[in-house]
Amino acid sequence: MSEPGLLDAPEADLVESQDLPWLVVVHNDPVNLMSYVAMVFRRIFGWTRERAERHMMEVHTKGRSVVWSGGREQAELYVQQLHSFLLLATLEKSS
Amino acid sequence: MIFERSKNGNFRFSRIHPLLGELLQAIALDPWERYPEGSARLLPSPGEAEDLEDLRLDWQDHVQPDLRHHFDLERAVVSDDLAGMIQRLGKAPSWTLEIPPDHTDAWLTTLNALRLALAEEHRFTENDLSETELSDLSTERGLALMQVNFYAFIQECLLQAIEDDSGR
Repeated sequence: MSEPGLLDAPEADLVESQDLPWLVVVHNDPVNLMSYVAMVFRRIFGWTRERAERHMMEVHTKGRSVVWSGGREQAELYVQQLHSFLLLATLEKSS
Repeated sequence: MIFERSKNGNFRFSRIHPLLGELLQAIALDPWERYPEGSARLLPSPGEAEDLEDLRLDWQDHVQPDLRHHFDLERAVVSDDLAGMIQRLGKAPSWTLEIPPDHTDAWLTTLNALRLALAEEHRFTENDLSETELSDLSTERGLALMQVNFYAFIQECLLQAIEDDSGR
Protein backbone atom coordinates (compact mmCIF):
# COMPACT_ATOMS: atom_id res chain seq x y z
CA MET A 1 0.00 0.00 0.00
CA SER A 2 1.37 3.42 -0.92
CA GLU A 3 2.03 6.09 1.63
CA PRO A 4 -0.45 8.96 1.74
CA GLY A 5 0.62 11.67 -0.64
CA LEU A 6 2.00 9.28 -3.20
CA LEU A 7 0.14 8.27 -6.28
CA ASP A 8 -1.26 4.77 -6.11
CA ALA A 9 -2.99 4.76 -9.45
CA PRO A 10 -3.20 1.55 -11.46
CA GLU A 11 0.04 0.57 -13.18
CA ALA A 12 -1.28 1.54 -16.60
CA ASP A 13 -1.95 5.07 -15.40
CA LEU A 14 1.59 5.41 -14.08
CA VAL A 15 3.15 4.25 -17.32
CA GLU A 16 1.03 6.72 -19.23
CA SER A 17 1.91 9.50 -16.81
CA GLN A 18 5.60 9.33 -17.72
CA ASP A 19 4.75 10.73 -21.15
CA LEU A 20 1.70 12.78 -20.30
CA PRO A 21 2.18 14.36 -16.89
CA TRP A 22 -1.17 15.90 -16.01
CA LEU A 23 -2.53 15.64 -12.49
CA VAL A 24 -6.10 15.71 -11.24
CA VAL A 25 -6.07 17.38 -7.82
CA VAL A 26 -8.97 17.48 -5.36
CA HIS A 27 -8.89 20.36 -2.85
CA ASN A 28 -10.36 20.55 0.61
CA ASP A 29 -13.48 22.55 1.37
CA PRO A 30 -15.25 22.74 4.71
CA VAL A 31 -18.70 21.85 3.40
CA ASN A 32 -18.49 18.54 1.53
CA LEU A 33 -19.04 15.64 3.90
CA MET A 34 -16.13 13.22 4.26
CA SER A 35 -18.40 10.24 3.58
CA TYR A 36 -19.70 11.98 0.44
CA VAL A 37 -16.18 12.66 -0.88
CA ALA A 38 -15.20 9.02 -0.34
CA MET A 39 -18.37 7.87 -2.12
CA VAL A 40 -17.59 10.11 -5.11
CA PHE A 41 -14.03 8.72 -5.37
CA ARG A 42 -15.38 5.18 -5.37
CA ARG A 43 -17.96 6.03 -8.02
CA ILE A 44 -15.64 7.86 -10.39
CA PHE A 45 -12.43 5.86 -10.04
CA GLY A 46 -13.88 2.52 -9.02
CA TRP A 47 -11.64 2.42 -5.96
CA THR A 48 -11.96 0.23 -2.92
CA ARG A 49 -13.40 1.83 0.19
CA GLU A 50 -9.93 1.85 1.83
CA ARG A 51 -8.29 3.65 -1.07
CA ALA A 52 -11.12 6.17 -1.38
CA GLU A 53 -10.98 6.92 2.33
CA ARG A 54 -7.20 7.29 2.24
CA HIS A 55 -7.42 9.97 -0.45
CA MET A 56 -10.38 11.60 1.29
CA MET A 57 -8.32 11.86 4.49
CA GLU A 58 -5.42 13.29 2.55
CA VAL A 59 -7.71 16.00 1.15
CA HIS A 60 -8.99 16.69 4.65
CA THR A 61 -5.65 16.79 6.45
CA LYS A 62 -3.28 18.12 3.79
CA GLY A 63 -5.73 20.29 1.85
CA ARG A 64 -5.32 18.40 -1.42
CA SER A 65 -4.82 15.00 -2.93
CA VAL A 66 -3.63 13.94 -6.37
CA VAL A 67 -6.26 11.43 -7.41
CA TRP A 68 -5.16 10.64 -10.94
CA SER A 69 -2.28 11.23 -13.32
CA GLY A 70 -2.08 10.75 -17.04
CA GLY A 71 -3.15 12.24 -20.35
CA ARG A 72 -4.71 15.69 -20.46
CA GLU A 73 -7.93 14.70 -22.19
CA GLN A 74 -8.76 12.03 -19.63
CA ALA A 75 -7.71 14.37 -16.82
CA GLU A 76 -10.17 17.01 -18.10
CA LEU A 77 -12.93 14.40 -18.13
CA TYR A 78 -12.17 13.43 -14.54
CA VAL A 79 -12.19 17.09 -13.43
CA GLN A 80 -15.55 17.54 -15.14
CA GLN A 81 -16.93 14.44 -13.42
CA LEU A 82 -15.65 15.64 -10.05
CA HIS A 83 -17.25 19.05 -10.66
CA SER A 84 -20.55 17.32 -11.42
CA PHE A 85 -20.39 15.99 -7.85
CA LEU A 86 -19.46 19.52 -6.68
CA LEU A 87 -15.95 18.66 -5.50
CA LEU A 88 -13.23 21.30 -5.90
CA ALA A 89 -10.99 19.67 -8.50
CA THR A 90 -8.34 21.15 -10.76
CA LEU A 91 -6.01 20.10 -13.51
CA GLU A 92 -2.27 20.66 -12.94
CA LYS A 93 0.79 19.93 -14.98
CA SER A 94 3.18 17.65 -13.16
CA SER A 95 6.46 19.38 -12.29
CA MET B 1 -37.79 12.99 12.93
CA ILE B 2 -37.49 9.33 12.02
CA PHE B 3 -35.51 7.93 9.09
CA GLU B 4 -36.31 4.41 7.92
CA ARG B 5 -36.91 2.20 4.91
CA SER B 6 -40.58 1.98 3.98
CA LYS B 7 -42.22 -1.27 2.87
CA ASN B 8 -42.09 -0.20 -0.77
CA GLY B 9 -38.31 0.25 -0.53
CA ASN B 10 -38.32 4.04 -0.43
CA PHE B 11 -36.29 6.02 2.09
CA ARG B 12 -38.75 7.69 4.44
CA PHE B 13 -38.40 10.64 6.78
CA SER B 14 -41.42 10.90 9.03
CA ARG B 15 -42.53 13.03 11.99
CA ILE B 16 -40.76 16.00 10.47
CA HIS B 17 -41.33 19.13 12.54
CA PRO B 18 -43.15 21.88 10.60
CA LEU B 19 -40.10 24.18 10.80
CA LEU B 20 -37.89 21.46 9.34
CA GLY B 21 -40.61 20.79 6.77
CA GLU B 22 -40.25 24.40 5.65
CA LEU B 23 -36.48 24.01 5.41
CA LEU B 24 -37.00 20.92 3.26
CA GLN B 25 -39.33 22.81 0.93
CA ALA B 26 -36.58 25.43 0.51
CA ILE B 27 -34.41 22.79 -1.19
CA ALA B 28 -36.50 23.25 -4.33
CA LEU B 29 -35.47 26.91 -4.68
CA ASP B 30 -33.04 27.81 -7.44
CA PRO B 31 -29.68 28.51 -5.73
CA TRP B 32 -28.65 30.77 -8.59
CA GLU B 33 -31.61 33.03 -7.85
CA ARG B 34 -31.61 32.65 -4.08
CA TYR B 35 -27.85 32.87 -3.50
CA PRO B 36 -26.35 34.74 -6.47
CA GLU B 37 -22.92 35.17 -4.84
CA GLY B 38 -22.72 31.77 -3.17
CA SER B 39 -23.77 29.86 -6.25
CA ALA B 40 -20.49 30.82 -7.97
CA ARG B 41 -18.94 28.00 -5.92
CA LEU B 42 -21.06 25.47 -7.84
CA LEU B 43 -19.16 26.05 -11.08
CA PRO B 44 -15.46 26.22 -10.19
CA SER B 45 -12.55 26.81 -12.53
CA PRO B 46 -10.73 23.73 -13.89
CA GLY B 47 -7.36 25.23 -12.93
CA GLU B 48 -5.49 28.45 -12.37
CA ALA B 49 -2.27 27.85 -14.34
CA GLU B 50 -1.50 30.38 -17.07
CA ASP B 51 -1.35 27.70 -19.76
CA LEU B 52 -4.92 26.64 -18.97
CA GLU B 53 -6.54 29.82 -20.30
CA ASP B 54 -8.00 27.95 -23.29
CA LEU B 55 -9.43 25.32 -20.98
CA ARG B 56 -10.99 27.95 -18.70
CA LEU B 57 -12.72 29.54 -21.71
CA ASP B 58 -13.89 26.14 -22.93
CA TRP B 59 -15.18 25.42 -19.42
CA GLN B 60 -17.17 28.67 -19.37
CA ASP B 61 -18.63 28.12 -22.83
CA HIS B 62 -19.45 24.41 -22.67
CA VAL B 63 -18.80 22.55 -19.44
CA GLN B 64 -20.34 24.98 -16.95
CA PRO B 65 -23.63 25.36 -18.87
CA ASP B 66 -23.85 21.55 -19.07
CA LEU B 67 -23.17 21.24 -15.34
CA ARG B 68 -25.75 23.87 -14.49
CA HIS B 69 -28.30 22.04 -16.65
CA HIS B 70 -27.40 18.81 -14.84
CA PHE B 71 -27.92 20.47 -11.44
CA ASP B 72 -31.27 21.91 -12.60
CA LEU B 73 -32.45 18.45 -13.70
CA GLU B 74 -31.43 16.91 -10.38
CA ARG B 75 -33.26 19.68 -8.51
CA ALA B 76 -36.39 19.01 -10.57
CA VAL B 77 -36.38 15.38 -9.36
CA VAL B 78 -36.06 16.59 -5.78
CA SER B 79 -38.84 19.14 -6.29
CA ASP B 80 -41.19 16.37 -7.44
CA ASP B 81 -40.44 14.35 -4.28
CA LEU B 82 -40.99 17.43 -2.14
CA ALA B 83 -44.33 18.06 -3.86
CA GLY B 84 -45.38 14.61 -2.66
CA MET B 85 -44.69 15.36 1.01
CA ILE B 86 -47.62 14.48 3.24
CA GLN B 87 -48.69 16.87 5.96
CA ARG B 88 -50.30 15.56 9.12
CA LEU B 89 -52.38 18.02 11.08
CA GLY B 90 -53.52 17.87 14.69
CA LYS B 91 -51.92 18.54 18.05
CA ALA B 92 -48.49 17.50 16.80
CA PRO B 93 -48.43 18.48 13.13
CA SER B 94 -45.66 16.96 11.04
CA TRP B 95 -44.56 16.08 7.53
CA THR B 96 -43.56 12.82 5.89
CA LEU B 97 -41.16 12.63 2.95
CA GLU B 98 -40.44 9.58 0.80
CA ILE B 99 -37.43 9.33 -1.49
CA PRO B 100 -37.25 6.51 -4.05
CA PRO B 101 -33.78 4.88 -4.03
CA ASP B 102 -33.15 5.86 -7.65
CA HIS B 103 -33.60 9.53 -6.68
CA THR B 104 -30.82 9.38 -4.09
CA ASP B 105 -28.12 10.83 -6.35
CA ALA B 106 -30.38 13.75 -7.24
CA TRP B 107 -30.94 14.43 -3.54
CA LEU B 108 -27.25 14.19 -2.66
CA THR B 109 -26.29 16.56 -5.47
CA THR B 110 -29.07 19.06 -4.75
CA LEU B 111 -28.44 19.10 -1.01
CA ASN B 112 -24.73 19.51 -1.63
CA ALA B 113 -25.29 22.38 -4.06
CA LEU B 114 -27.52 24.18 -1.61
CA ARG B 115 -25.14 23.66 1.32
CA LEU B 116 -22.19 24.92 -0.72
CA ALA B 117 -24.08 27.97 -1.96
CA LEU B 118 -25.33 28.80 1.54
CA ALA B 119 -21.87 28.38 3.08
CA GLU B 120 -20.27 30.54 0.39
CA GLU B 121 -22.97 33.20 0.63
CA HIS B 122 -22.49 33.51 4.40
CA ARG B 123 -18.75 32.80 4.32
CA PHE B 124 -18.99 30.03 6.89
CA THR B 125 -15.63 28.77 8.14
CA GLU B 126 -14.70 25.25 9.21
CA ASN B 127 -15.12 26.44 12.80
CA ASP B 128 -18.64 27.75 12.08
CA LEU B 129 -19.61 24.43 10.53
CA SER B 130 -18.22 22.34 13.38
CA GLU B 131 -19.94 24.45 16.05
CA THR B 132 -22.03 22.19 18.27
CA GLU B 133 -24.08 24.94 19.93
CA LEU B 134 -27.45 25.69 18.34
CA SER B 135 -27.08 28.74 16.11
CA ASP B 136 -29.01 31.97 16.75
CA LEU B 137 -32.14 31.42 14.67
CA SER B 138 -33.20 35.06 15.05
CA THR B 139 -30.51 36.01 12.51
CA GLU B 140 -30.36 35.16 8.83
CA ARG B 141 -26.81 33.83 9.29
CA GLY B 142 -27.85 31.62 12.21
CA LEU B 143 -30.77 30.21 10.27
CA ALA B 144 -28.52 29.56 7.29
CA LEU B 145 -26.09 27.64 9.51
CA MET B 146 -28.92 25.52 10.83
CA GLN B 147 -30.01 24.83 7.24
CA VAL B 148 -26.49 23.73 6.25
CA ASN B 149 -26.33 21.36 9.23
CA PHE B 150 -29.85 20.01 8.74
CA TYR B 151 -29.21 19.29 5.07
CA ALA B 152 -25.95 17.58 6.07
CA PHE B 153 -27.96 15.32 8.37
CA ILE B 154 -30.27 14.36 5.49
CA GLN B 155 -27.22 13.65 3.33
CA GLU B 156 -25.66 11.49 6.06
CA CYS B 157 -28.86 9.44 6.37
CA LEU B 158 -28.95 8.80 2.62
CA LEU B 159 -25.23 8.03 2.41
CA GLN B 160 -25.52 5.55 5.27
CA ALA B 161 -28.51 3.91 3.57
CA ILE B 162 -26.53 3.57 0.33
CA GLU B 163 -23.65 2.09 2.30
CA ASP B 164 -25.98 -0.40 3.98
CA ASP B 165 -27.42 -1.39 0.59
CA SER B 166 -23.99 -1.93 -0.95
CA GLY B 167 -22.96 -4.12 1.98
CA ARG B 168 -25.89 -6.49 1.56
